[in-house]
Amino acid sequence: MGKVLMKGNEVIAEAAVHAGCKYFFGYPITPQSELVAYMARRLPEVGGLFLQAESEVAAINMVYGAAGTGVRVMTSSSSPGFSLKQEGISYLVGAELPALIVNVVRGGPGLGNIQPAQSDYFQVTKGGGHGDYHTPVLAPSTLQEIIELTEAAFDIADRYRTPVILLGDGMLGQMMEPVEFKNLTERQPGEKDWTTTGTRGDGKPRIITSLELNADALEKRNEKLQHKFALIKQNEVRYETYEIEDADYIVTAYGTAARIAMNAINNARADGLKIGMIRPITLWPFPEQPFIETRDKVKGYISVEMSAGQMVEDVRLAVNGKAPVTFFGRTGGVVPTQEEIYEYIMKVAGGVEV
Amino acid sequence: MKKGADITIITGHFGSGKTEMSVNLALEARRTNEKVAVADLDIVNPYYRARDARAIFAENGIELIAPAERLAASDLPIVSGDIYRVIYDPAYKVIVDAGGDKDGATALGQFYNDWKDMDPEVLFILNANRPYVSTLDGAVDTLLKIEKASRLKITGIINNSNVGNETTLADVEKGLDLSRALSEKLDIPLLSTTLSQHLSADADSFLPVSQVKVISRYIKLPWER
Repeated sequence: MGKVLMKGNEVIAEAAVHAGCKYFFGYPITPQSELVAYMARRLPEVGGLFLQAESEVAAINMVYGAAGTGVRVMTSSSSPGFSLKQEGISYLVGAELPALIVNVVRGGPGLGNIQPAQSDYFQVTKGGGHGDYHTPVLAPSTLQEIIELTEAAFDIADRYRTPVILLGDGMLGQMMEPVEFKNLTERQPGEKDWTTTGTRGDGKPRIITSLELNADALEKRNEKLQHKFALIKQNEVRYETYEIEDADYIVTAYGTAARIAMNAINNARADGLKIGMIRPITLWPFPEQPFIETRDKVKGYISVEMSAGQMVEDVRLAVNGKAPVTFFGRTGGVVPTQEEIYEYIMKVAGGVEV
Repeated sequence: MKKGADITIITGHFGSGKTEMSVNLALEARRTNEKVAVADLDIVNPYYRARDARAIFAENGIELIAPAERLAASDLPIVSGDIYRVIYDPAYKVIVDAGGDKDGATALGQFYNDWKDMDPEVLFILNANRPYVSTLDGAVDTLLKIEKASRLKITGIINNSNVGNETTLADVEKGLDLSRALSEKLDIPLLSTTLSQHLSADADSFLPVSQVKVISRYIKLPWER
């Protein structure tokens, strides 16, 4: 199978089908509605089920129900709709259920607009719903990378029995690029010994719930979850670096913002400045290692985001005061240009107070 | 009998390249026409529509018929009434850019009584490297549904098969085979095959020049500018 030209939202949907997802529950919202529409058409072709729920709240709880049977299941939304799913995501974490939840971020807060943004970073990386938890967050920057990370997201979800978030912005969802689906063999989730698909006299009844009335028992469950999160932090960090070996300044950016920043970095390099990039691919767990390895050598870090400054807080934690960290961002659905990022880099590198 | 403008309506499946085709056709038409208007009837896509080429149209003296700028990103299915001003004026060359698939073509249906006697040219843009139109059955199904929703008969097919910046001649040829089969099956002429700039050197080795249209991409992503 050669290359096909697809829209980002379609790629997420097709990649999920390739990863063995046969169940989708969702509710349309711009700019991710093509994902819902694609699934409505595609899932019946593979013997799956597409169901448009009456709301985002209903959809995430349908995901909870389906996940309890051990199948690969997903939902998707964009910022306001994703906020509505938070209670359900917390329940999925508490009940230890694997699922994929996609957020194609748009401008906020509130109803905001339908333009691309990265302003849901806090929400996806710091828990989002109630209780002590994190969800793994994967942030592709190209449509080809969506394919790889969607598959990875389902694998991580199954491996750790926890919901995983795939985060893009409206631009990634709406743009078109050539992609290739290399692995056509359909994947099946492995054996799961915890599913509630009916007892056959083969052991104790299985219970899937996030409810635990006994405080000591709930603390134990929390300890178990924290142990799981520690394992994920240890094993699942992903990032990419570019020209950091000799860099005086390192730009950090993820998703589409990283692609825009990359041009600015190359332009600055052409002007003789030593600029590099760290692109987090998992936003949680946040890649601390490349910062630890560079923070004693560089003159500073510049976080570039389509937000008012969210990931920059994790950059500061990872740098731990060892080097200055500055921020450049645009908000409200405004996409930064490579020229303004370039100008900002030149200012910082030139010692201008920013 | 023509009572209005010279109209070309661009239809096609979702993501077939209708908007880029509209921009290219408008620029081409402007070379020989004083009055050229592009009507953005895309009520399906939230971005990357003809209205996003506003600056290019303005630079080239092409009128853009689209929702007011303050509503351009409203997520509302707005069709500007300003389209009536140009479609009844014989001085105009009007290019109508509809949204994709039958859903996008629905916006055309309401103008049936306006342009039914104007013999509009109705193009079906085909990119064989897109899902659901890569087979003859898929392409036929999509085309017939667009005809029904738009209340129009397709008068010509354009083979716009590509995979973006990585397009090879093989991608175009694959689309040419499918376009020919579609043309034969539905008895609709195949008017031309598009080639992007980077393949234009190969244009004459590939097809008679009269059947090739070299096109440029105008709506670009922030890292492509």
